[in-house]
Amino acid sequence: MTSVRRRAALALASGVISCLVMTSAAYAAPEDVANSIAAEIMSPFCPGVTLENCPSDRAVALRARIESWAADGWDEERILTALEDQYGESIRALPSPSGSGLGAWLAPIGALAGGLVVAALLARRWTRARPARSVATVEIPPETRTRLNDELDALRGRP
Amino acid sequence: MSLAGLGRPSLIAALAFALAALGLCLAGALTRRRSLAIAGTRAVTAMAAFTGLAAAALLSAFAAHDFSVDYVAGHSSESLSGPYLVSAFWSGMEGSLLLWALMLTVFSAIALHRARRTSPRLVAWAGVVLAGVAAFFLALVLVPASPFKTLSPVPADGSGLNTFLQSPGMLLHPPLLYTGFVGFSIPFAFAMAALFTGRLDDSWFTSTRRWTLFAWSALSVGIVLGGAWAYTELGWGGYWAWDPVENASFLPWLTATAFLHSVVIQEKRRMLKVWNVTLILLTYGLAIFGTFLTRSGILSSIHTFSEGPIGKWFLPFLGLLLIGGLATIALRMDTLKSENRFDSLLSRESAFLVNNVLFVAAAFTVLWGTIYPIIAEMATGVRLSVGPPFFNSVFIPIAVAIILMTGIGPLISWRRMSKGALWRMIRMPLGAGAAVAIALGISGVRSVGALLAFALCAFTVAAIGAEFARGSRMYRTRERMSVTRALARTVSRNRRRYGGYVVHLGVVLIVIGIAGAAFRTERQEVLDPGQTMNVGEYTLTYEGRTSGTTSEKQINTATIQVTRGGSHVTTLRPQRNFHFAQDQAQSEVAIRTTPLEDLYVVVTSFDQDGAAAVRAFVNPLVWWIWLGAVVMLAGITVVLSGATPVAVTAPARPPAREPAVALR
Repeated sequence: MTSVRRRAALALASGVISCLVMTSAAYAAPEDVANSIAAEIMSPFCPGVTLENCPSDRAVALRARIESWAADGWDEERILTALEDQYGESIRALPSPSGSGLGAWLAPIGALAGGLVVAALLARRWTRARPARSVATVEIPPETRTRLNDELDALRGRP
Repeated sequence: MSLAGLGRPSLIAALAFALAALGLCLAGALTRRRSLAIAGTRAVTAMAAFTGLAAAALLSAFAAHDFSVDYVAGHSSESLSGPYLVSAFWSGMEGSLLLWALMLTVFSAIALHRARRTSPRLVAWAGVVLAGVAAFFLALVLVPASPFKTLSPVPADGSGLNTFLQSPGMLLHPPLLYTGFVGFSIPFAFAMAALFTGRLDDSWFTSTRRWTLFAWSALSVGIVLGGAWAYTELGWGGYWAWDPVENASFLPWLTATAFLHSVVIQEKRRMLKVWNVTLILLTYGLAIFGTFLTRSGILSSIHTFSEGPIGKWFLPFLGLLLIGGLATIALRMDTLKSENRFDSLLSRESAFLVNNVLFVAAAFTVLWGTIYPIIAEMATGVRLSVGPPFFNSVFIPIAVAIILMTGIGPLISWRRMSKGALWRMIRMPLGAGAAVAIALGISGVRSVGALLAFALCAFTVAAIGAEFARGSRMYRTRERMSVTRALARTVSRNRRRYGGYVVHLGVVLIVIGIAGAAFRTERQEVLDPGQTMNVGEYTLTYEGRTSGTTSEKQINTATIQVTRGGSHVTTLRPQRNFHFAQDQAQSEVAIRTTPLEDLYVVVTSFDQDGAAAVRAFVNPLVWWIWLGAVVMLAGITVVLSGATPVAVTAPARPPAREPAVALR
């Protein structure tokens, strides 16, 4: 790659990175906080579904309560802790990265890393130079040579 | 007229033929007597015919409103009519298992008939596997999950069909998923047959290629239709919730997609043989596991059928399938050795390998997240939840890498490629991706995930476009064809390759639609008539409620005028209805769809005084998900319209002894 190309690539990469890091935390309205939390907790009223996706009237009421907490100035973690105290640890849709929830995180990361390492090792092994196979170094015993010639002749239709 | 009385005898006959087919095919495979194998495949056809008769009997019971049949009474009512009488067939556990059995037996009969001119011994062993699996499912619908149990006294009316299932999507979504799950039985059976016979050349997957593609396509469309059903029926504004049953359908799709890619390496380079048979075993195992998850009641989900005794049947079957399959692979390991090596780390083969690792890691991640609550509870006694935020956190980075590989893979040549050549191929798509990221950044997009997703999509689309351009250049320059004709010629000359690229394009469009969720807006208000609420750039004015009653339900319709910047956009009429037979209220969503965004409005309740609890969403780019599915389907059609490649078979192992009538 020429230096001009390298500089162009670097400029392009910095442009992309600048765009990626230009994130700003906007002020969150209480309803946005409630929406965000509703996506992070399981609904106590609909099995296997987040509060966000639960159509129950009681779920709507719980969202309203969360919104009122947010309007009172509670931050997300305080609201989540209050919900956890009331409904238990299983209300969190995101398992904690410690204690009994740690395994949920470690196994996928381990599987991906392990898979990539195994694939890399296999690919390296498969790309290693093969031992040179030279016909000249192979000693063919005379009787084998005769038999090969006979069979080749038979294949070619010679007597 | 109800033919329900024929149901059970037909199933008994089908099971008898399944066992006969199992015995005959096994005898044919072991003794190498062709006549026995042929008799076995005929028994499979008879098994399919009797299962079809049982299915017709159940369908006739629904059509005749025969409430003496417990299953019919539990899933339909007098007021149910038209196509929903058909979807009621698979709306419960027993009926859905009968549909499984029906598809399995019919697919088995067709596959064995079509393969009769290949290797009869391979067909005989495939018959053993298929008849064995069919016998299991037929036993299920005869003993623990019979749809033909009768009621006494006979109720005057049935309980009705779940209102959520009374949707056009439910007519197609479950049968398509089952087609996918069951369709994988065929490549699985032929892979096992190849292992049993030691005939481990390409014939097992070339002879079942269309089945694999067919099953994968049906599963893909079924999954997207499931998303569309959830979006339009469930009223929570989304299409995918990482629900355990959604995951159950996604798992075999992931491993099957890995298989469809890795099998290309076996075809081209005679490598990854162990991996390919393992992948097809995993795919089928996951399809069975998904069926177990849905029906065992082990996990809580809105989709899960009620807890029943059949979980106890599935676990030993699944164990036998996986342990038996893996043991057979281990026994044949010597004949599954790769015949070639990689020439370079920078090659298409390596790209496929990385792609496979990513797909399998994605499948493991989804599987692990789905079952982790059970594992954690067993290990620690603590009940945990693993919900959408977990799946989004761990799956999305893998998905991003897969999309990246979707773009890079086709640019890398087989065997080896120099870094300079790769750079020449990659710089244009890379520039396109960077340009999109910069343009979106400048225009105010601040979501890192969305920027990355759109940039990757642009990269991949540019890479695919460049492949089409390169492919058609020859026709344009040498034969002086128009661009359109040159493209058509390019695609028609190599339908598998370019059809595959079209499928990739469809996937990219779906990813664009999913990435739009980063800009989703949601608002929820209780509105009195005349009041307004804002969501995104829209102002919603609730005009009031109108009510009416039919024989099935009370219909309550809210009229909502939608304006943007003072201009009238549309009038939406979401409903909140009460179904009498089911004693259940259900919301009917109103959606205004455009390629840019959906305005999605749902009424969750009405007050006595007419006030409406309104939930409104602006869901950007969802339309592209459905378009992506259509493009994928078009690509699959192109792939399937191509000729099936002929297997270049390696010499089969010589038979142990000369049989009386030798099987080839």
